[in-house]
Amino acid sequence: MQKPPVALIAMGVFAALASLVPLGYLLIRLGSGFDKALAELSRPRTFELLGNTLLLTVSVTITAIVIGLFQAWLVTRSNLPFAGFFAVLGTLPLAIPSYVLALSYTSMFSWFSGFFASWITLSLATAPYVFLGVSAALVRVDTSQEEVARSLGLSRFRVFTKVTWPQIKTAATASGLLVALYTLSEFGAVSILRYDTFTRAIYNAYRGSFDRTAAASLAVVLVLLTLIALYFERRVRNRYLSVEASGRRNLVELGNWKVLAMTMFGVLGLFGAGFPIAALTGWAFVGSSRSTWGELLSALGSSLSLALLAGVVIGIFATAVALWNVRYGSRFSSLIETTVWSSHALPAIVVGLALVFVGANLTPWIYQTVWLLVFAYLILFLPNALSVIATPMGQVSRGQEQVARSLGLSQVGAIFKLVIPVATPGILAGMALASLTVLKELPATLLLRPNEVDTLATKLWSATETLSYAQAAPYALALIIIAGVPALALNAQARKLASEVR
Amino acid sequence: MPLLEIKNLGVFFDGQEILREVNLQVMPQELLAILGSSGAGKSTLLRLIAGFEKPNSGEILLSGNVISSPRDLLNPEKRGIGIVPQEAALFPHLTVSENIAFGLGKQDKSAREARVKELLELTRLTPFADRKPDQLSGGQSQRVALARALAPKPAVVLLDEPFSALDAELREQLRSEVRQMLRTEGATAILVTHDQEEALSLADRVAVMRDGQIIQVGTPAEIYNAPVDLGIATFLGDSVLVEGWVENGKLQTALGKLTPITHVTEGDKGVVAIRSENFYLQPNPAGDSEVVGREFFGHDAVVEVQTPKLKIKARANGPFAPEVGMRVTVWVRGSVNFYPNAEGN
Repeated sequence: MQKPPVALIAMGVFAALASLVPLGYLLIRLGSGFDKALAELSRPRTFELLGNTLLLTVSVTITAIVIGLFQAWLVTRSNLPFAGFFAVLGTLPLAIPSYVLALSYTSMFSWFSGFFASWITLSLATAPYVFLGVSAALVRVDTSQEEVARSLGLSRFRVFTKVTWPQIKTAATASGLLVALYTLSEFGAVSILRYDTFTRAIYNAYRGSFDRTAAASLAVVLVLLTLIALYFERRVRNRYLSVEASGRRNLVELGNWKVLAMTMFGVLGLFGAGFPIAALTGWAFVGSSRSTWGELLSALGSSLSLALLAGVVIGIFATAVALWNVRYGSRFSSLIETTVWSSHALPAIVVGLALVFVGANLTPWIYQTVWLLVFAYLILFLPNALSVIATPMGQVSRGQEQVARSLGLSQVGAIFKLVIPVATPGILAGMALASLTVLKELPATLLLRPNEVDTLATKLWSATETLSYAQAAPYALALIIIAGVPALALNAQARKLASEVR
Repeated sequence: MPLLEIKNLGVFFDGQEILREVNLQVMPQELLAILGSSGAGKSTLLRLIAGFEKPNSGEILLSGNVISSPRDLLNPEKRGIGIVPQEAALFPHLTVSENIAFGLGKQDKSAREARVKELLELTRLTPFADRKPDQLSGGQSQRVALARALAPKPAVVLLDEPFSALDAELREQLRSEVRQMLRTEGATAILVTHDQEEALSLADRVAVMRDGQIIQVGTPAEIYNAPVDLGIATFLGDSVLVEGWVENGKLQTALGKLTPITHVTEGDKGVVAIRSENFYLQPNPAGDSEVVGREFFGHDAVVEVQTPKLKIKARANGPFAPEVGMRVTVWVRGSVNFYPNAEGN
């Protein structure tokens, strides 16, 4: 086994340490003011927040699973007409950031707030995750297994419960836990809809006082909740059944249910994407006179340059970590990779809060600069980029690398002349994915941005704080167009589904 | 009385005729092979028997009761017809034992366990009882699939090219094992295959299918010795085709006077099919034919011979096959098939 170049080790260790900063901060806070934190947490308010957060997380998760399961089954297993069209329609809400969805509904109906509103909004926004996850699993279940089960005397329904469900259970649970993690970390939508969960309370506590103990103690509880969900997600994810995609699929005749099924897809598509986009477009026309084009363009400019900068930085670090772990894998490198991954479920508001503290107290020279913000994005989105970049790093075989070395290339030369050129499309995809995610990011940007920097997301946020929806609408539309739609188009799972459903 | 009876079955998919006027009878405890090349409609016929497709015309009867017709379709789970798909299709989340027990739901626990044990022994899978399907080899998977289908004692078991995914050696071994298992269980089975050797060696009777129709049904010997048309004759094994006509009850050909198997009409012209193993090559320095090629297989060899009028391929006993360049006299042993009005090559 060759030793990796020192630069790779340095970058990997830096990335791993970075992802430990938020948790480290919380532990330090907890250690230094344990009694105070305990007092803070034993207030009835904490239990109220806990109840609210759990209620929302559980109801959104269940709703998303039910909707996603139905959609997946209809698209992959029934003779639903225009299945390809409906598959795309089902994933469309992914193009709309959940806080934009929330904004569009409150802008239409002033009463749209609280638990009910948050539940509906987040269910619409997260159902596509279940839809995609379960569809991928359903396509992989060999239909001849279902036929065998029927020939052995089982009715269609019992075939589903005894043969199909056990094989898609993993995917359904995993995507359900993903939805739970998403809901736990969700900040923008619940804040706009004025429903008090931990994320919103953390932000308000941070804004409301100079003493950060309250915010930090709430963050600890939120992180614990996330870790619990993450623990289960990990456990389920590692138990995938290895089944190849089956060739022929036997479609269930829907008969008269066809109309109902198409209506369901249509209604979900309208509420998840159609109405919101129409409402925002309407507001944008009203607002175009008030919000000046100049402001929009400057926010767009700073959003794009920030996203590009962060995307490149994240891409470089992801490349380094992947190179190290894929090509020079050791126990140490996989520990680094696991550490980097550990931050992927960390709520952005917690990362933001931690870096505000670290920045203000330990590294004042980067506090209130773009670099601290980029550092936060690195912690938050390095795992996303890594998931895309890891596979292409293994494309050049060890044999090919050895040939390159025998032809006179140094170790570093082989990396730059062979491994990276071959992996370039993957690296670019990883950078693009990171950039698009950065564009949509709200809570960490809100806490860490330099005062003079306004992004699309923060402009939208300040407009909604004063309830000026017409002013917020152009920013919302811009976010959908430059971040949401490209992200959906890049989504590997969605593309795979679209190619598999005809 | 036949156990399974298929009458005038016809199927269209998307306006295309897949099966036409299919008639077939399967006797109790019989192993029937349906032989045909891919696209002949074999698998569709199997899916119709299992109840996964509806016929456009005709009907299927099991023990005298209609189970499929254009109006009525008995659900697959009500038929008591087991299936063994090509890729085994084991349930990946269940162990070997649980797979086998899958169709035994209604029986009480001890009866179920006894039956599973019995089948594990029959298929020699006892040591693998607690394994998951992904820990099994291809042959083991197929045996589990067969055991699973046999467990509820189905009226008929349908095997859809069950050996095609296996390598040659394993295939041969598994074939005889499967035949033994079916015998022991007293099961009635229909085997679909495109492999003529498999059909001929395994089945009690063979039904030959082509273009959605059943062309010929008979014992393996009947099918092999007397194919009803040239297409089947060439499909079933290497044959040399020569033009010929009937004169004085004999067939006049470029290879001499030959004896027909079937009744022939004086004066008819057509094509004579001679199996490559029917040739006898007599070494003879003064012979009018010359060996021009030889493929050696060990137990036998295929020898290419240039006769005065045409080139033939003959199968000869391996060690004694003539060498390239030797002169021989070509004889045809036994009787041959004659197809009047057929076009030769």
